[in-house]
Amino acid sequence: MILESREATKKYGSKTAVNQVSLQLEPGLVYAMLGPNGSGKTTWMKMVAGLVKPTSGEILYQGNPIGKESRKEIAYMSTEPYFYSWMSVADVGKYYEDFFEDFSMEKYRQMISRMELTEDMKAKKLSSGMMAKLKIAVTMARGARLYLLDEPLNGIDLLARDQIMKSILEAIDPDVTLVVSSHLVDELERVADAAIFMKDGILAKQCMVEELRIDEHKSVVDLYREIYGHGGEEVC
Amino acid sequence: MLKLMKYELRKTAFSKLVLLVITAVAELAFLLGVFLKKDNLLAIGIVFLFMCAVFGVIYIGIESVNVLYRDLNTKQSYMLFLTPKSSYEILGAKILENGISIVMAGVFFALLAALDITVATLYIGGLKEMINLVSSFMEINWSVTFTPAEAAFYFFGLLASWIVYIVNADLSVILSASVLAGKKGSIIAGFLIFMVISAIIGKALDLIPVLQSTELTFVIYIAAAFAIAAVLYLISGWIMEKKLSV
Repeated sequence: MILESREATKKYGSKTAVNQVSLQLEPGLVYAMLGPNGSGKTTWMKMVAGLVKPTSGEILYQGNPIGKESRKEIAYMSTEPYFYSWMSVADVGKYYEDFFEDFSMEKYRQMISRMELTEDMKAKKLSSGMMAKLKIAVTMARGARLYLLDEPLNGIDLLARDQIMKSILEAIDPDVTLVVSSHLVDELERVADAAIFMKDGILAKQCMVEELRIDEHKSVVDLYREIYGHGGEEVC
Repeated sequence: MLKLMKYELRKTAFSKLVLLVITAVAELAFLLGVFLKKDNLLAIGIVFLFMCAVFGVIYIGIESVNVLYRDLNTKQSYMLFLTPKSSYEILGAKILENGISIVMAGVFFALLAALDITVATLYIGGLKEMINLVSSFMEINWSVTFTPAEAAFYFFGLLASWIVYIVNADLSVILSASVLAGKKGSIIAGFLIFMVISAIIGKALDLIPVLQSTELTFVIYIAAAFAIAAVLYLISGWIMEKKLSV
């Protein structure tokens, strides 16, 4: 087990964004984190990344609380742009190289070149599609043990989506865990080993994709429809 | 830590460059006024140099608080808080960079003033006469007498006080973004906390006795100011580490 979430809860005033989520992540697997907007996916990922402090419960990375040490091995890609406005594509790479020992500038350069970005481009002037590519390139150029990718395919056209998925899948390794959230359930089903369904801040379901297919003759898309289309009651 | 400081400097580099350019233009006006004996240029140069020195040092401090506010309340916070650095390191880098910038700016303007006074007295009148003139003016008008050493200590005392108030403002911004986050009037509450702590700091520094040796008094004052800044920093770092969600 690489990560354990023990009844992790995050409240913002009277609103509970994540409610007692308990789950475990195993190394070498790709997890699809699914759920509609406001279901708690992003907040849970931010708690794992150390950006958000749980109100109660805890999250352990390799047995230790989230903090400075875990951030050395966890790579998080936010759905929103977050680079400093003065940064160029080259500056973004330099920044990651300065702070993350596992960052490979060579890999970063290969990825930005493949994604048709150039080092002199200003981050603040990139279109949303280009920005998504930059975020993926700089995140996947790290040699992290756990990747958390929040909506990496958001607002991306079909061709760019293939490029991004290819970059993500290159990281698959027996020692690496990937958690990818997306509204594009069918896109993720092709690559995911396991699925995590979030609803109203609660963990609605966690299951292995292959077991779901063999044992219950259901696809992740089928299950998604059942959970979110019929009030979210547990169905498998 | 040095890498964090490098990026803190980068965030404020533009405004510091603007300050430097305005100072260079004012200095040029001053020197032209001196060499060409143009009183108008000389006066404009002196006024702008004085304003650059005073408002420059003040602005460097205020801008650092603004940068901290942005770093805690916008998505760019991820750039800092995703790095494998503790909150103490992140905040420490900000305070150190800003403290060094304030002291360097202060020393820069003090040296520039010394240089300009020297140049002016060489071309316009005697240096000794000018210093005597300034000293007598201060003594007559404000009953103040300073030796150069005392003036230097007074100057560094002012810079140290300014740094303490900036660290205090940092604490208020951190409280607004963490403990008070999402609550109505969090910014006003943060400002009130700043005012209350500032008043306490003022009272605490007033308790420092005036010794026979003015230099020693200022050394104690500066040490006390830095001790207060260190305490505020530790409290702020602890709040960030335990309570801050970005």
